[in-house]
Amino acid sequence: MFRPPPRASGYFRTDYGEDLKLIRTRTEWSGMLALAAVLAATPFIASPFLLDLCCQVFLASIGALSLMLLTGYAGQISLGHAGLLAAGAFTTGILAREIHAPFWITLPASAATGIVLGLIFGLPSLRLRGLYLAISTLALHFVVIYLGGEYEAKRGFSTGVLIDPPSLLGWKLTGGRAWYFVLLAFAAAALLACINLLRSRSGRAFRAIRARETVAEALGIGIAQYKLLAFVISSGMTAVAGCLFAYYRGFVSIEAFDLFLSIQYVAMIIIGGKGSLLGALLGAAFVTVFPYGIEALLGFLPNARALAGDIFAVNYAAFGVVMILFLLLEPLGLVGIWRRVQNYFLLWPFKYRPLASARK
Amino acid sequence: MEIAAGRPQLQLLVNIAVLGSIYALIACGYVLIYRVSRVLNLAHGELMMLGAYLLLATASLFSASAGLAIAAAILLSVTAGVLVYVLLMRRMTGEMVLAAILTTVALGILVRGVLVLIWSSQQQYPAQALRLANPIFAFGNAHISTWSLTLVLANAAVYLALFVFLRFGRWGMRMRAAGQNPLLAAQRGINLHGVYALAWAISTFTGSLAGMLIALDSGLTMSMPGIALKAFPAALVGGLDSLAGALLGALIVASAEVLLIYYVDPLLSDVVPFLVLIAMLVVRPWGLFGTREELDRV
Amino acid sequence: MTLLQVDQIEVVYKRVITAVQGVTLSVAEKQIVALLGINGAGKTTTLRAISGFLGIDDARVTQGAISFRGARLDNRPPHAIAARGVVLVPEREKVFPNLTVAENLIAPVARRNSRKQQDPAFHFFPRLAELRHRTSGLLSGGERQMLAIASALVCDPKLLLIDELSLGLAPVVVDDLVRRLAAIRSELGIAILLVEQSAAVALELADYAYVMENGRIVLDGDRDRLKSHQDVEEFYLGQARGERRSYRDVKQYRRSRRWYG
Repeated sequence: MFRPPPRASGYFRTDYGEDLKLIRTRTEWSGMLALAAVLAATPFIASPFLLDLCCQVFLASIGALSLMLLTGYAGQISLGHAGLLAAGAFTTGILAREIHAPFWITLPASAATGIVLGLIFGLPSLRLRGLYLAISTLALHFVVIYLGGEYEAKRGFSTGVLIDPPSLLGWKLTGGRAWYFVLLAFAAAALLACINLLRSRSGRAFRAIRARETVAEALGIGIAQYKLLAFVISSGMTAVAGCLFAYYRGFVSIEAFDLFLSIQYVAMIIIGGKGSLLGALLGAAFVTVFPYGIEALLGFLPNARALAGDIFAVNYAAFGVVMILFLLLEPLGLVGIWRRVQNYFLLWPFKYRPLASARK
Repeated sequence: MEIAAGRPQLQLLVNIAVLGSIYALIACGYVLIYRVSRVLNLAHGELMMLGAYLLLATASLFSASAGLAIAAAILLSVTAGVLVYVLLMRRMTGEMVLAAILTTVALGILVRGVLVLIWSSQQQYPAQALRLANPIFAFGNAHISTWSLTLVLANAAVYLALFVFLRFGRWGMRMRAAGQNPLLAAQRGINLHGVYALAWAISTFTGSLAGMLIALDSGLTMSMPGIALKAFPAALVGGLDSLAGALLGALIVASAEVLLIYYVDPLLSDVVPFLVLIAMLVVRPWGLFGTREELDRV
Repeated sequence: MTLLQVDQIEVVYKRVITAVQGVTLSVAEKQIVALLGINGAGKTTTLRAISGFLGIDDARVTQGAISFRGARLDNRPPHAIAARGVVLVPEREKVFPNLTVAENLIAPVARRNSRKQQDPAFHFFPRLAELRHRTSGLLSGGERQMLAIASALVCDPKLLLIDELSLGLAPVVVDDLVRRLAAIRSELGIAILLVEQSAAVALELADYAYVMENGRIVLDGDRDRLKSHQDVEEFYLGQARGERRSYRDVKQYRRSRRWYG
């Protein structure tokens, strides 16, 4: 979105102001307005089920964007995403339950928890690369789960913590439509924040670190501080997503945050396509809708009635297959497919494929 | 094993030995594949579980002879391991390591789903299916069950065999060579795909052995991959490319876990291995015996 | 009898970058052939194409053929090529660093499995026998090169490909290696294709040489022809006939080369 889309003929910016604009041409403006219109109209024409689905996609997008920031751009792998979501959710739950803290305290508190966790688990990561970082985040996941479990056990919330809906200036946030707009606003804000972060100096530093760490260091980019920054920002954002998740569900329980959730977020990045914010959104949508799609598919197949009872297992298996297919066949994800389609139409009748690196 | 009141130290030691053997037997699978092909096989737990379920299947086929059932199950699981390499992981050999690791994660998810579909998520008892008893040996005020003892002995045997093979065997040497410098190994006539398939076969063998013995001892549940995940820090603490390290790491993690569960809080069971891991990552990221360059390989 | 025949090959990286174009060379039995050229001329790419290492860098031989004793070698996997008797001593990472010298010599897979396969190695490089239990990552540059060549010999090759023989080595060590390679050729009857940046070293050892520039062969000939060729003298051996040229006259400098390229 902030990268100029390919054009068959040149489109030239003539001053810095134009270069910084997010939406440049009239085509883009009209596209954006059309999208906004569709998004605004949906709650009024969609069924409650679809509305809930959209809300889930928006929630997932925030987490996916933060993971994309960390993995797709700064090149740091994280398997502890569920732990961070749990941290945010539990902070919200604990504060709401123990001291009846209102929304405008729990949200920053969750962000703070995320930031602190990011600092704690990010500091060792400075010495580690790739593999070891992934494992460190795995450790983060288990520690958070343990702490959450301890809280539930010690305070007697064995089935989970109930949370009242958040209220702002006396107006309670309930109902699908209200949540839709609130979550849409948060997702859009997250997207905008990511876009601007990536356009800034820090964003360029992230990409340099991901491309070639030694060269980045040689160019004077402080590797340690930028890696930590990426980790901390990502963790903070994820914790906020966790907080919203807690309020949306009205209910926080440690079982909801298993390792499979972390893997689902990583899958969102892979399936969406690494190194692309659009990819994060596409991936989030895909993975969120996937279980429902499988369920619908089972309904169509003639002899699938027996399997319908084991819907979790079918989900698991199908998810594994799809992930493998993407990893084997389309490593650039949905965004890669999208770009290929774009290229085909742009370059037609030529078939010359540009170098993979030239598109970044 | 329940701890008798009074002086629990002997039973604690026994528990450490058993848990350490479990972790060590699982950890050597991780180390082997990592050392040879730089891939973290995060599907190891699920493949372990596959081995145990295969035992369940062969138990119903060869209900007369337990030995035959076990042998058949082992053969099938090794075949499965080789197939995983040939059909799936071989295509990822040129790609980035992260992609290969994620492929194993996806494979694990797939295997888990399929296993539930075939066998349901109920707890199973292969020992019952094979009509094998599990008598308990008592000595002092400690006990150990037969299958746990078998596990400890099997672990020792496996490690001994692996040490000898890797250090002195011709193909063991070639495996080590392929792990260090795959291009040169290829140019010196070593068939890399063959070496990697061998690593996967051995790794699946040790994993399935662990899975089967655990299942025979205490039953087979869908949470078995969790044990494998806890064994992972053991491999890391030792240094991901060192077998000796895996053994030592497993003992360290098992000791920490058993002692902390007994003296502090039973709920810590799942998180202790990771606490040990964090401590190790802070102090000495490449593990006890790992080679330091491993850090920069990725 | 021609052992290796490279016929008009073209090697393309990432489907768009042509690194080597129209290269034809041949190595006869028991011949030592040198491939000369500056950095980036395409010599290593050519060697890689012959030994099967292109796949890693996303490169392919898109045209032409590489035949060894009649069989086609292009785009085949490295261990298959090694099994036919074409063994490469790479430029970098030429030994297994964490294995000892002895283990380095046991690890390679020989074409004919014989017990005595390490003998040629110790025969030509007696120093290695003393270093038998040293971890090879700790060897000096010269010793490492000796080990690399020795481990290649263990595979019982018919054709030895050596990438950058003298890079990073002291002249004394290089002279020693040149003598040993000549001995290897005469005693074992192995042909050698040598890639070298140092024309002096190459022309001392080789019977025949090719000069590469920008991915093409621009000159070839036997040792005497090359040594006496004015351009080789000037651009590769650093001996100018007549007065010294100023590099400020770049255009003239370029145009003055008597070959195409």
